[in-house]
Amino acid sequence: MDAERIELIENVFCDVFENLAFMFGEPISKDVFEANGNEHTHAHISFEGARTGDVVLIVPDDMCPEIAANVLGVDPDDEQVDELAGDALKEMINIICGRLLTDLESKDLVFDLSVPEIKNINSEEWSVWLKKEGSLGFIVDEYSVILYLHMED
Amino acid sequence: MAYNILVVDDSAVVRAVIKKTLTLAGIDVGQIFNAENGQVGLDIAATEWIDLIFADINMPIMGGIEMVERMSEEGLLSTIPIIIVSTEGSATRIAELKKKGVAAYVRKPFTPESIREVVTQVMGD
Repeated sequence: MDAERIELIENVFCDVFENLAFMFGEPISKDVFEANGNEHTHAHISFEGARTGDVVLIVPDDMCPEIAANVLGVDPDDEQVDELAGDALKEMINIICGRLLTDLESKDLVFDLSVPEIKNINSEEWSVWLKKEGSLGFIVDEYSVILYLHMED
Repeated sequence: MAYNILVVDDSAVVRAVIKKTLTLAGIDVGQIFNAENGQVGLDIAATEWIDLIFADINMPIMGGIEMVERMSEEGLLSTIPIIIVSTEGSATRIAELKKKGVAAYVRKPFTPESIREVVTQVMGD
């Protein structure tokens, strides 16, 4: 990926986290990037249409309830938070994917997005995702977050 | 006038956020009805008095576009204004939706101001 494209992706990521979850992110070099703990949530969405590809967002499990509380605008101890933690992450990747497609490609192109899915992964799998070409590292409110974008030519 | 509003989205988070945002936007809301897909949305719209619908595009079972098409074929249902709330920003897709009868489009993430503006535009002051 060229530097301009990477900067666009970083801007979309930080903008969505800030506007949707009031959490502040910054890009970080993958060379100095470390996982938070051993339990991570992996969110995936695919798209097809003018281009085909995938977006993956990987966050520490502990971060999911915080995202949900912030998106919902409720206290972290609120009973809805645990129930909706996964749903909030799905919405986050849905919005990031939609923004990436219009910001990286043309606003005239039409894409069909899949329904987002989530699963748990461990630190070994986390490291594999981090090493992939197309993945970027971010620190969001002290949490390590991976964003991966793959677009077929 | 208090509006009865139907929110059609497969994400419980989005349904909760739309409900909260409507209140923050100062919209006079009567009853809020929730549907997790277009089919459930159609069933509710057929049995309840609904003034306005917020709907997502991508949902399992029945998406927002099919729901809009089905409503446009059903006499009374075709008169209910629909606001699409989606992550998609394609100008082509938005133009297609408006041709199908969608009243307005709001892109996520939205704000109370953007919701108030679109509701005023669709329903009048």
